[in-house]
Parts: sequence; C-alpha cells; structure tokens
Amino acid sequence: MNAEQHRGWFIVGSLALMLMVAAPTLALFVRLPSSSERFSELWLLAPHHKAEDYPFNVKNGAAFTVYVGVGNRLGYSAYYRIDVKFRNQTQLLPNSSSSTPSPLNSTYEFHLFLEDDKTWETPFVFSFQGEPMFISNITINDALFHVNRSSIWNQERKGFYYQLFFELWLYNMTSQGFQYHNRFVGLWLNVTG
Amino acid sequence: MSGLKFSLVLVMFLILASEFLMVAAFAAVSEDVAVSALRDAKGVVVSAYQTVLEAEEAGANVSGLLARLNEAVGVLSLARKAYAVGDFEETAFLADSSRDIGSEVEHEAVMLKNQALSEGLQRMVFSVIASVVSVVLIAAGSFWFWQFLKKRSVQAAVL
Repeated sequence: MNAEQHRGWFIVGSLALMLMVAAPTLALFVRLPSSSERFSELWLLAPHHKAEDYPFNVKNGAAFTVYVGVGNRLGYSAYYRIDVKFRNQTQLLPNSSSSTPSPLNSTYEFHLFLEDDKTWETPFVFSFQGEPMFISNITINDALFHVNRSSIWNQERKGFYYQLFFELWLYNMTSQGFQYHNRFVGLWLNVTG
Repeated sequence: MSGLKFSLVLVMFLILASEFLMVAAFAAVSEDVAVSALRDAKGVVVSAYQTVLEAEEAGANVSGLLARLNEAVGVLSLARKAYAVGDFEETAFLADSSRDIGSEVEHEAVMLKNQALSEGLQRMVFSVIASVVSVVLIAAGSFWFWQFLKKRSVQAAVL
C-alpha cells in the first residue's frame, strides 16, 4: 500500500476530527440564527377547561368561570399584561391588521412575568349587574367595576349582546412601556335578564 | 387671674389647631405620597425585570426571581386597587412592599448575573484550553501516524 496515494483522505480525516473536537468551543463564539418561530399564545377555556360549553346566555348576578392563559415562546422571560375589556356590539375590537388595540379602557388587568417555554393560567370569575339593555357593573374575581354599557336588541340573533375580551400586551425594554402584542380572545354574551 | 385663664385657653386652642392643621396637611400629602409610592414601585419592578433579563442572558436560572417578581406585581396590583377606592395609606404601604420585593429581586439578580458570568468565563477558558490541547494532540498524532505509515510503505516497497 502506498501511503502517498491516500494523503488527501488522511488530511481531510484529521481536519474533520479536529473540527469535531473544537466544535463545542466554536459554538461559544459562533451563534447561528435560530430557525424556530418566536411567538406568544393567549387562550380562553370554558369552565371544564375545554374549548367548548363557554358561558353564553348569562343572567343578572349569576357568576361564571372561564380560564385565561398565556404561553411564552419568545426565547426569553417576558413581562405580559392582559387587559380585560367589555364592549357592546357597536364598540371597537382590536384591529389585527394594523396591530392596534381596542380604544376602550380596560376594566381589569393581569400582570405576569413568564419564563420562556412556560405557560400561565388563571381562573376568571365574572358576573354582571344591571338589565339586559344596560350593564352597570361587572364583578371580576370578587372586585366590582363600573362599566355602564348599553346594548340594543339584535333582531337577527335575538338578544342583547355584549363581548368580554382579553388583549395581550408585552413589555418592551426599548420603549420602556407595554405594547399591544396583537393577540386577543373574546367571549360573546347574551344577557338575558 | 383672668389673664392666666385667657393664656391657658389660648395655648389649648393653639395645640388643638396645630393638631388639626397637621392632620389636614398629612391628608393633603397622603395622595401625593401614594402616587409617588406607586410610581417608585413600578420603576423598581421594571428595573428588576431588566436585571433579571441580563442575568438570564448570562446563563443564570431565573425561575425563582420571576416568581418573586410575580409576587411584586401582585402586591402592586393590590396597591392600585387600594388607590382606586381612595385608601392612600394602604396604597403607600402595599406599593412600598412591592418596591421592597423588587429591590430584593434586583439585588439577587445582580449576584446571579455576576455568578453566571464568572462561571461562563471559567467554562469558556476551560473549553478553549481543552480544544486547543486536543487539536494540537490530534495534529501531532496524525503527523506521527502519517510518518509511521509512510515509513512502513517505503519499507514494504524496498522488501
């Protein structure tokens, strides 16, 4: 066997071995961009922790429980705020195409810090005080809030409709403030009196 | 005697009046104090979060710190509720508690960050030394092995 004939293979093999040994150290200095998508999740679950049988026909004073949750897949620990807002059929929802939140004031807020790849969930207990066409107060997790929202009879769907919705906001270190994270979930409610 | 009585009444009046004025003054600054306490607490919590992010980037485990920060924002939320119902004393007390938790978190985050940076540096130095030594050994070993193979092939050709 002539060693000179295999010289090229020998050099390539040696270099490959050196590269393998040095790979962990090279990884400390060379950061490749991550191909995984960064995002946040926001969800709303019904009383039995399922995406079915959500409260719909609600009566004055009756309490209902849903579960609101957030998942962090941003690659870093995030500071979130969930704004709970209440509207009638004519008031504005957030605009997903322009990433703008609803102009309504929030009735209730959740503030939370969440580690990357972790989820958070909390029960949300609510009840209404008022008439079907005018809701004066909402009780959320045992705290009373004045909302004063009126609704008109919906001829097509036969009811007085309101919507309780949750907007996700994310703290931005650069702007030193919360920014709407372009995610919201909502619950249509037919207030029956 | 009547002069003495008058002086006594005057002194008592002044004492009562000063107490009233002090209470009024205290009530007047109380809302400012509450607002200031809320602002301070919010600032400290955000600053603590920033330091926690730096510690996380340095490779520290920040799970415990985030749990404490959630505690801080929970207390801050209670402070906001107290402010909404006009209980400024409670607001200031809760906001101060929230600020204290935030300060503790920030302090711990700085320590964790420094520890993580120091450990990271040690790991990096060890890794670089180990890699350089390994590469040199492989290069030397390969060269020696190549020479050995070459010698053997030459001997085989001569024979």
